Amino acid sequence: MISEEYRGAKQWSRDKQAVFTVIWISFLVAAVGTMVFFALFDPVDLSGIFDPDLDVSRDAGYAAGFFFFWVLCAVCSGLTAFLVRTAPKRDAKHREQ
Amino acid sequence: MNKPQGASMYESAKKIYPREISGRFDRLSKIATVTLLGLFYIVPWLQWDERQAVLFDLPARKFYLVGLTLWPQDFPYLALLLIIAALSLFFFTALAGRLFCGFACPQTVWTEAFIWMEQLTEGTRSQRMKLDKAPWSLTKFRKKASKQILWITFAMWTGFTFVGYFTEIRQLGLDILAFSVGGWTLFWGLFYGFATYGNAGYMREQVCKYMCPYARFQSAMFDKDTLIISYDEKRGEPRGGRKRSVDHKEAGLGDCIDCTLCVQVCPTGIDIREGLQYECIACAACIDACDSIMDKMNYPRGLVRYTTEHSLHHESTRVIRPRTLIYATLLTILVGGLFTAMATRTPVILDVIRDRNSLYRELPNDIIENIYTLKVINQSNDPRSFSLSVAGLEGISLDGVDDEVSVDGGGVLSLPVRVRAERDKAIGIHSIDFVITATDDAGVSVTEDSRFLGPTP
Repeated sequence: MISEEYRGAKQWSRDKQAVFTVIWISFLVAAVGTMVFFALFDPVDLSGIFDPDLDVSRDAGYAAGFFFFWVLCAVCSGLTAFLVRTAPKRDAKHREQ
Repeated sequence: MNKPQGASMYESAKKIYPREISGRFDRLSKIATVTLLGLFYIVPWLQWDERQAVLFDLPARKFYLVGLTLWPQDFPYLALLLIIAALSLFFFTALAGRLFCGFACPQTVWTEAFIWMEQLTEGTRSQRMKLDKAPWSLTKFRKKASKQILWITFAMWTGFTFVGYFTEIRQLGLDILAFSVGGWTLFWGLFYGFATYGNAGYMREQVCKYMCPYARFQSAMFDKDTLIISYDEKRGEPRGGRKRSVDHKEAGLGDCIDCTLCVQVCPTGIDIREGLQYECIACAACIDACDSIMDKMNYPRGLVRYTTEHSLHHESTRVIRPRTLIYATLLTILVGGLFTAMATRTPVILDVIRDRNSLYRELPNDIIENIYTLKVINQSNDPRSFSLSVAGLEGISLDGVDDEVSVDGGGVLSLPVRVRAERDKAIGIHSIDFVITATDDAGVSVTEDSRFLGPTP
């Protein structure tokens, strides 16, 4: 057997795993989403629809869009992870047995 | 494939100190790292036709790829390219396992670079372990501080380079020297730099183990003919220490001397001898480590080696099989499609927008008029003249535009036009076509349809 010193890599706690996974995956999906969205729509045109007086630069539009997608995706996958992890362990079928 | 044991999830945190190793695969991985990072850092500085050769000019909504200029309208190409990239990943995974993870993934490549800087400042594996255990001293502080300086400088340069793909890097460099960088540019530079620092300096293999979706689903593309890194259990067991002079076969031992070198060099901290594990990023460091020991012991190399499950069980390995054939066929079709589409791309785009404010206007002499705005985008790099025409309804004609319009290279021309037709021919809704043709090349022509509205019958 190998000695303890070499065995067992650093392990993250389940909570840390969940938090970082949610942040990272929503980041990736938001990046793709932003790319597709802004390939189809120009932020300058969009700000005009939203409010004709609003003068948003493209840079700011892209950034706002990206963070919007990131937060949206993080909320979605965060809630999913939370519900999956806190779900009751046994269902009704289980109890009958 | 082994699953992580539930209990080990809660094990106390242990830092991995990958041991340095040299060998065939280490050389390959160094070549890959230098090539890929070299490309990343050098490409934005290349010039083409007095502009940056590769520039994703987001503020102007134009992508420059060497001689090619791509517009938002060319998005399908990008989508196709992404699908091709994903499919290539599937194809190479089926064929050669996690080749991408071990040699080409940005996470691996930047981690390699960061570990190299760590070795430069803090020394070898055992020196680093000793240093971390030692109490704070001037030497420790000096070593840690110089590592941080190297890391942070490298990370900041990475962020700068990243932003340099989106804004002209030469101008950006001057702006930084003059302390006049735009807010968003600065933000994204720092953001990417910090992400590199965190991912390659600290998170390292954790990203592969916990955060990478590919690592989890790559097993779906594996089969018994996929190239994997594996320990030859039949040959190695029973493992155990022995003197070089001892004939281990007589002593009842396998070829594994249990030196644990393969475990020490592993960047994800696994023991390859426990079988294929999802943490394994196929960097092949353990092969180099084991080969060096086999050489010392005068045993044949390859106790840990690239192999397939079939060949481990002394069966033949098939490279050509339904899985690889299907991936290869799909790839060929898509790549062929992309090249055909790019080659036959007309470098002009015509958008037709009907005036939203009025349906139609009635002019004297029983003429019906509709108003449109035409957007002509010249995708070539030189100015070009185009002729415009409209068809689809008897006697329909364009008014208010010259016979020939000129558009700058890479420019957009917004053109309000009036289209007229006789009243008795224009009753109801008609489908009409606008045609734009380059005056110097009749092959460069696009047709865009719209509607022409007339009075209700």
